[in-house]
Amino acid sequence: MNIVDVPGSHWQAADGLHVDTRGLLPPDPMVAILWHLERPGQFGPVTAHIDRNPVHLFPELHERGWNYEYALETETEVQLVLRKAT
Amino acid sequence: MNNPGSFLGGAQDRLLPASIPFRFFLAASGFHVLAWAALFLGADQLASYRGGPGLVLSAIHLATLGVFTMTAIGASYQLLPVVTRRPLARDWPTRLSFWLICPGIVALTWGMAQFNQTAMHVGTDLLTLGLLIFGVLTADNLRRTGGIPVVSAHGWLALISLTALVVLGALLVRDFDSGFLNDRTSFAILHMAVASFGFMGALAVGLSLVLIPMFVLSRSLPSLPGWAQAGLTALGLSLFSIAILLNLPSLKWFALGAGLGAAWCYLWQMRTALKTSMRKRLGVPFVLMRLSWGLLVAALILAGLTLAGAPIPNVGTLTGFILIAGWLLTFLTGVLYRIMPFLASMHAAGKSGLPPLLSDLTADGPLKLHAASHIAALAICSAGIVLEATLLLQIGIFTGFVGAVSFSVFAVNVALKLGKPNHIP
Repeated sequence: MNIVDVPGSHWQAADGLHVDTRGLLPPDPMVAILWHLERPGQFGPVTAHIDRNPVHLFPELHERGWNYEYALETETEVQLVLRKAT
Repeated sequence: MNNPGSFLGGAQDRLLPASIPFRFFLAASGFHVLAWAALFLGADQLASYRGGPGLVLSAIHLATLGVFTMTAIGASYQLLPVVTRRPLARDWPTRLSFWLICPGIVALTWGMAQFNQTAMHVGTDLLTLGLLIFGVLTADNLRRTGGIPVVSAHGWLALISLTALVVLGALLVRDFDSGFLNDRTSFAILHMAVASFGFMGALAVGLSLVLIPMFVLSRSLPSLPGWAQAGLTALGLSLFSIAILLNLPSLKWFALGAGLGAAWCYLWQMRTALKTSMRKRLGVPFVLMRLSWGLLVAALILAGLTLAGAPIPNVGTLTGFILIAGWLLTFLTGVLYRIMPFLASMHAAGKSGLPPLLSDLTADGPLKLHAASHIAALAICSAGIVLEATLLLQIGIFTGFVGAVSFSVFAVNVALKLGKPNHIP
């Protein structure tokens, strides 16, 4: 998958990469987040913006050795900060 | 770093307790073993089976109700609220539906095997009540959905088909008492078609639109082929029903054409998902799922050969076998390979500590033995049906039985690890 085919949007900020998957249908949020995490040299922090709690993402993160913490959790948006386990 | 307490966070209201889907999955794996066992005992009747009570009818319903329906209900209860982003209104009716459906299946299939009409009536009544609860809960969830319309459309098609197949099934059971149906065989074929392509088929292909891209990590699928798939499935089932009810045999060809069109749409989407997959190794589950997709087409072609009166011995029985054991059973066990460890990982993480790795929850040995046994059983039994060779059928069915036992070992293993997440290495 090329970067232009990756669903959602992303930007680099002072606190690391941000991946915005809000408004996407499943499984596009999971695909977008995992695509960015699997890029060579990516160890985080990566902030994922999601409009639902990504229950199906967590086993995949754990399988790939990534930790997460909630930066924001509301009814309409979840922000996860992701870091590669050391 | 992980926050186990809020692992499921706001989604906890949409994620049912693990015991609910897993009771359905474990029951399904038990009925899977019983289905092959009943078929083994009735092996001498299988090749020439043309309907009616007995061990073959019991085995068919142990598979369709016991394995397919239980799996479909467990998966729907768990996945629909997550996919549609609407929680089920209450938990207790899901438990009640299990305690109606599970004994209902036991009573009905026992009654079919023994030709005990009382048991069949009790089973039918319990099943009707249990399926009514499932239907109401799912309809309520779909009605309030803000999720994916094309998946919801498949859900509605499955519920309409479920209503039709329950009515047809109840009529067929009552007909054992009084013989009021003029053409029982045609009604039985319609019952099977609505159950296989309408209820089970619509749920399988509808949930595939989300599950398969999720399993292989590909982008969400375009909705237009999904709508075409739903429309053609509905058209095919409607035409087939009219053909049976109004005795218009030529319409069956148009129904078959619509079915092949729906299958083409479905397979095109599955191919798209696989082509854009981010996951490099798809493993044993996708060996079974790819095989099931081929067998879906094979079942439709065999149905055409049956309609055409092709000179293949027992082609009608072979069609039913490939439809039920080939397409649906192969597909569902492939899905369960993936979904059971996945759900267990999600649920176990909500209990304590880190979530177990998916790979720790999967038992490769039993799965490979099941897959090999299942594929061998399909080939040997198909040959046995065409050749009318009882010994060959017994060998094939026993091979399937071994695979089913192996699958149960896998299912119980996942459930035990779910119960003791801290014991996982």
